[in-house]
Amino acid sequence: MSRLKNFIRQFVIASVVVLVAGCGSAVTLEPVTIPRPLIDPIPATVGLRMPENFHHYVHEEEVLGSEEWSINLGAANAELFTQLYGHMFDRVVLLSDDDNPDEHDLDALIEPAIEAFEFSVPNQSKTKSFAVWIRYRITVYDNNGDVVADWPVSAYGKSQKESVSGPKALQRAAVLAMRDAAALMIMKLDQAAGISGLAADRRGETTPPDTETDTQLESEPEAQTSQLGATAGDEN
Amino acid sequence: MTRINWLHVSTILLVAGATSACVNSRVVDSRQASTGINEGEGIVVMAKSYHLGNETEEDYIQCVENSLSRGRAGLRVIPHRDFVDSLFPWFEPRTAPTETKHLPQLMEHPGVKELLAKEQIRYIVWLDGDTERVAGGGSLSCAAGPTGGGCFGFAWWQNDADYEASVWDLDELESAGTVTTDVSGTSFLPALVVPIPLIARTQSKACKALATTLRDFIDPLDDSA
Repeated sequence: MSRLKNFIRQFVIASVVVLVAGCGSAVTLEPVTIPRPLIDPIPATVGLRMPENFHHYVHEEEVLGSEEWSINLGAANAELFTQLYGHMFDRVVLLSDDDNPDEHDLDALIEPAIEAFEFSVPNQSKTKSFAVWIRYRITVYDNNGDVVADWPVSAYGKSQKESVSGPKALQRAAVLAMRDAAALMIMKLDQAAGISGLAADRRGETTPPDTETDTQLESEPEAQTSQLGATAGDEN
Repeated sequence: MTRINWLHVSTILLVAGATSACVNSRVVDSRQASTGINEGEGIVVMAKSYHLGNETEEDYIQCVENSLSRGRAGLRVIPHRDFVDSLFPWFEPRTAPTETKHLPQLMEHPGVKELLAKEQIRYIVWLDGDTERVAGGGSLSCAAGPTGGGCFGFAWWQNDADYEASVWDLDELESAGTVTTDVSGTSFLPALVVPIPLIARTQSKACKALATTLRDFIDPLDDSA
C-alpha cells in the first residue's frame, strides 16, 4: 500500500514538473558574428569599456501570465561591440574597469550600456512574428574625460515563426535587433559623437565646418529613436 | 437491394472535395522599362523592410527564389541572406533603399558598386505582401472512447495571398516595373469518423504564379520555359 502511495506521489510530482517546464521557453544566443561592413574605418583610436553584463546578459519575462521566457544573450553584446568597433575605427583598445584610459593615447573613450530589452511573442502581438527591441546608451568621452555624447540607440528585430520554431524565431529576432543597432551606429555614431573630429583635433588637423552634421548632432539620434519607437508600437 | 461500395463512395467524396478546395488566382504585370538578362547575370529576391510594416514570409521568399532558379529557363538567383551579408550594412531593414532614387547614393558607399559588378547582380526583386486567413467557419468535434474514436463535423477557412514584386534594374538604376499576384483559396475539412482535409495551397500557388510571370518579365526573350 505504501508502495502505491509512493508511486502516486512520484507521479504527481513528475506531472507538476513536466507541466511547469512545459510553460517556459529558454533561448540561448549563439555567438553573434556581424559581417565585415563596407565602410571606410574612422581614422581614430578609441577605448571601449563595456559593462559586466555585456558578457552574460539574461532577460527573463513572464508573458501573459502563462509563458515564461528566458533569453540568454551570453556574451553576444560584448562580441557585437568588439567586432563592430574593430571594423569602424582604425584602432580599438579594450579596457576593463581598472584600466586607466589616459595610459592608452586615446582620441575617445566609448562606454556602451543596455538600457532596456523587450520582446513580444505572436500571442501578444496577434501576428506571426517574434519581435525584439534593445535600447543601448552610448556615452562618449573625449581625451580630457569630458562627455561629448550621450546617445540612445534603439534597435528592432523581427522574425516569423512559420519557418522556424518559436525559440529559434526569437533568437533570430534578437540577432536582427543587434544587427540593426550595428547598422545605426555605423551610420550615425560619428555624427552623434564627432569622434573623427576629436581625432583630427588631437592630430592638429583642421576639420572643415560641417553645418549639416552640426544640426544633426542634436536632433537626428533622438528623431531616429522616436521613429523606431513608433515602428515598434505599430508592430504591437 | 444495392450494396454500398464504400471504396466508390470514398473516391467520389475525395474527387468532389479536391475539386471544391478551390483556388482563384490573378497575376498582373506592369512594365515601366524594357528588361533582359545576359548570361552570367543574376538577381536577388528580397522582402521589403519590416521597418515599413511589411510581413512577407521567409518561406515565401525562399519559394520564389527556388521557383525562379529551377528548370532550363532558370535564372541565377543569389540567396538573399548571402547578399545582405556581403553588402552589410546597406541592405539591413533600416538602411535598405526604399526607392530607386536612393540607388545612386547607395553606389557611392565604398565597395558597393564593385561588389555588385563582381557578382553580376542585374536585378533586385522586392517582395511586399503576405498570406492571411480572411474568413472561416464550421464546427468539428472529435471524441475517443474505449472502443475507438472519431470526428464529426465540417470546418472551412479562406486564405488570401496578396504579393507585389517590384523589379529594380541595377544597371540602369531604375524601376523596371511590378508583378502582382492575388490568390484566394478556400480549404475544407469534412469529418465523418475520419477527417478528410481538402487544403487549398494558396501561398504555394501565389509563389508559382508570381515566379512564372516574374521570369517572363525579367527575361521576355527567353522562350525555353
